[in-house]
Amino acid sequence: MHISRFGSVASRHKVQLGAALSAVALAVTGLAVPNATAAPKPITIGISVSLSGDFSGDGKATQQGYKIWATWQNAHGGILGRPVVLKFLSDASSPTQVVTNYQKFITSDKVDFVLGPYSTKLTKPASDIANRYHYVMLEGIGGGPSVFSRGLKNVFDVSASATYQLVTYAKWLAATQKPQPIAYATMDDPFIQPMVDFAKAYLDKKGFTEAVYKVYPAETTDFSPIASAVAASGAKIAILGTMPPDGYAMIQNFIQAKYNPEQLILASGPDQGADFTKSVGVTNTEGIMVPNTWIPTSNYPGNKDMVALYIKTYGGDINSINADVPEAFAAGQVLAQAVNKVGSTSNVKLQAYLHSGAKFTSVQGPVQFAADGENSGAAPYVFQWQKGQYVPVLPLGGPDKVSPIETLRPAWGTTPGM
Amino acid sequence: MSTDTTISQRPTPPSYEVPKAIRFGALAVGFLVLVLFPLVFNNPTISTIGVFAMIFLMAVTGWNIFSGYTGYIALGHAVFFGIGQYATAMLASYWQIPPGWETFLLIPVSMFLAGLAAIPIGLIVLRVRKHTFIVLTIALMFIFQLFAYNLRGWTGGSQGLEVSQPPWDGSIFNLPYYYVGLFLAIIAIVTSFMIRRSKFGLSLLAIRDDEDRARSLGINTRNSKLTAFVISAIFLGAAGCMYAMFVGSVYPQFSFDPAFDLELSIMAFAGGLGTILGPSLGALIISGAQQYFLITFGGANVFLIVYGALFILILRLLPGGVVPAISDKWRSHVVRKEQRILDSELEGPAEAGAHK
Amino acid sequence: MLVLQAIIEGVLVGGFYALMAAGLTLVFGVMDIVNFAIGALIVLGAYLSYSLTIHFHLDPFVSLIFTTPLMTALGMFIYVFLIKPIKTNKVVMSLLTMFAVATLIEGILDICYNSGFVQIHASYINNSLRIGKLNFPLIYVLSFLLSAFLLSCLYFVTYRTKFGRALRASMQNPVAARLVGIDTDRVSMITLGIGIGLAAIGGMIFGTTNAFNASSSYDIISRLLVIVILGGFGSVGGALVAAIFMLVIQDVVAVVWSPVWGSTAFYMILMVVLLVRPQGLFGKKGVRAQ
Repeated sequence: MHISRFGSVASRHKVQLGAALSAVALAVTGLAVPNATAAPKPITIGISVSLSGDFSGDGKATQQGYKIWATWQNAHGGILGRPVVLKFLSDASSPTQVVTNYQKFITSDKVDFVLGPYSTKLTKPASDIANRYHYVMLEGIGGGPSVFSRGLKNVFDVSASATYQLVTYAKWLAATQKPQPIAYATMDDPFIQPMVDFAKAYLDKKGFTEAVYKVYPAETTDFSPIASAVAASGAKIAILGTMPPDGYAMIQNFIQAKYNPEQLILASGPDQGADFTKSVGVTNTEGIMVPNTWIPTSNYPGNKDMVALYIKTYGGDINSINADVPEAFAAGQVLAQAVNKVGSTSNVKLQAYLHSGAKFTSVQGPVQFAADGENSGAAPYVFQWQKGQYVPVLPLGGPDKVSPIETLRPAWGTTPGM
Repeated sequence: MSTDTTISQRPTPPSYEVPKAIRFGALAVGFLVLVLFPLVFNNPTISTIGVFAMIFLMAVTGWNIFSGYTGYIALGHAVFFGIGQYATAMLASYWQIPPGWETFLLIPVSMFLAGLAAIPIGLIVLRVRKHTFIVLTIALMFIFQLFAYNLRGWTGGSQGLEVSQPPWDGSIFNLPYYYVGLFLAIIAIVTSFMIRRSKFGLSLLAIRDDEDRARSLGINTRNSKLTAFVISAIFLGAAGCMYAMFVGSVYPQFSFDPAFDLELSIMAFAGGLGTILGPSLGALIISGAQQYFLITFGGANVFLIVYGALFILILRLLPGGVVPAISDKWRSHVVRKEQRILDSELEGPAEAGAHK
Repeated sequence: MLVLQAIIEGVLVGGFYALMAAGLTLVFGVMDIVNFAIGALIVLGAYLSYSLTIHFHLDPFVSLIFTTPLMTALGMFIYVFLIKPIKTNKVVMSLLTMFAVATLIEGILDICYNSGFVQIHASYINNSLRIGKLNFPLIYVLSFLLSAFLLSCLYFVTYRTKFGRALRASMQNPVAARLVGIDTDRVSMITLGIGIGLAAIGGMIFGTTNAFNASSSYDIISRLLVIVILGGFGSVGGALVAAIFMLVIQDVVAVVWSPVWGSTAFYMILMVVLLVRPQGLFGKKGVRAQ
């Protein structure tokens, strides 16, 4: 579990020893140059982040996660004993721009490695271009099936992929609730829609019917027709495949329509911490659930450091950390562990090693890659807002402590104890 | 500066046009530069700029054939760009075309489909006069964008479609696209040239200058406009096909993008709307600058400001564009030269007389 | 039932689209220019109201006291410096100029506000008016009332004041208007100012009912253009009818069939109407080509 620490400390010692030996050798041969401070050449990593456009909120969090990781990694010996230097470019949430960015990193800047962008939509073209130039694409925020289904061998996702994300909740639902109609509404995003669809497929088999199933395109801005349809279905359980802005809008529309489902789970939005509570109003958050691959309070390697470092750098508290931060951090962690094990900056060797079934650790838990690059060792959690606090409630019987799940949401605007 | 004959005794008046020799020379140099460009600058990031420049070149030249010559500014031509992209993506997967050289065969297919689509579209939008026309083309583009988002079964919705990329090595990947693009761009320019010099072209220009009078002179304005519309759509379809193949993914908001038409019009205006080479020049300069900007700074948003400001400046200062500005400069240069000769002739004998 | 609710919501929302479209169609009628920038200006108005509510905790309606005069002045500024100087090919050049202005505004807004989606919040945002089994968000009702009030003011100004007479004269025949001593330049400047001031108001309303960012301008401008064409360039009444008609159809289709087809229906109806009546419902048949 602490391979990375030992590895980097050892290599740092190795470098220092090597430097000392060479200095002695030079002195002996009389070629010693005074003031020879040979700083090790940094390891450059190119990353495209969405600092504007549809994904700008998450894009910034992604960048924060990578930056924190670099700071942390450099405090633990860097990679191969060399300091990590990150290069960022903004892709404005555009799939064509992300290709241009990675192409520039690889062919012009000649970075040693690249790490993934935010979202499945951008990771897919990014991994294509990385593949063309034989670079590995390690990422933590691109888990839609389309990323893995193309037979590329260079893409590796350290987080749980879309197929698994809502299934934890679906399994619990099937095990504890009577089969009943469920309202589904989802954006046709390549990550979010599969999340909802896989859960729905599971629930359909277990006898839960579909009260309503609406898919909306990404550019929708007026959600009242969709919200009205969900509200009109009268379903007591609603599963929404939303990104933050539409999630917040739909909740608002539900409040206006006075529709209050007993259980409400969103694909994302409630995991955005302070953004969520501000947009929706803290008193309206009670009982809302969201899947997440990370527990803020966990003891997984690097997590406590990451949280402390984040709060020190960006302020806020543990509950305001966006879920993208650990996803980015984890990608960096795995990269460092793997490269240190491989011992060189060769992307080809790195790819082979990542596919070898090796196990890695991260702030999100264990990581092990299946043949298509998915993390087969991941187990997503489900979180719920209870009394203004963001607590894990599922899975039951797992290694982490969870709170009891609230199965009946109170009326809008009422949060017990607030 | 002495001449045997005075100006008034010259047999023919001086030509105010840029001499054929210079024009031909400039064209030849330009052609050579374009052909050798990616071989000299073999960094793939730079040749990518070149590929996009070629795509825009053919698109703008095609756009100019309609909007420049007839004066009907079409701000919805992204429709045909998008049709080219989606046709390519859908057919590539439906016909199971293996990634590689065979995909390029889709270019004539996309051109044909775009042209075909232009016929009913043209018949609808060309019924109305200029203001309504402009707005209608924009509305049409949004309709297509909405269809692309909503006909999820065919178009993949927000997730878009993919065109498999050939497994060529990174260092030479861009070259085939560049040269095919160059070839198509040259065809577009030649077509534009031939139209301009033909009777058909004259009828288009007549429509631009005064449509009612053109009709009264017997020109079938409806057919002329429709023909120009279809021809321009064909080149936009080609551009769309190249774009889809090169970029590898097709999305509704980039295939049917209002900003795309803005880019086309600014390139055409900057270079010289209605001229033959003007739009090409504009395309090369502006798309090159845009790509460079995007590569260096990432994100298109600052460039929107630059576009907007640049466009306003161009509209105010160089409403004709670069090429007409060059012709104007040349004309005034010739006029001044003639003026000097005339002055010296008038003064000369008097001077000579004074110094006798 | 759901359809009835959709119809009523369509009327409510249509009212405010009509307000914005009125500005657009008036500007066209008087000056022969298509104010392409109105989408971006509405978004600008929305962002201004948004900032005022966030930083100064003003009520969105109160923020209008500041944003409206500011944007009216902006409109007059645009006229004097960008539109008036155009001498040749006025229609096309002014359209492209306004297109450029729209792009400029969009770029600036994008940089200032960073393209995350935002929405204007007020404490009563989530309240709704309940009539029988139907719920109407309070904000829609308030905006409709505001729009109705402003449209009546506009009617009053256009038909009952001296300026309104000058306005109508300039619309009918600019040359003749000048011959009888009307300063058409001044009329144009004020009209553009009014049009953009209305955009400020429309922006606030838009911002409270929709999540928006800098790119929302395209969606707005395309709908407004459709409404204005449908209603007929220059006809405010036409804009009102068209706006309500379109929005009702969109909402009903969204509820009955699917929200995605709602917007598409919007544009398809335009095409159908134009095939039959190229000048729109209430427009005048074009006499000359340009």
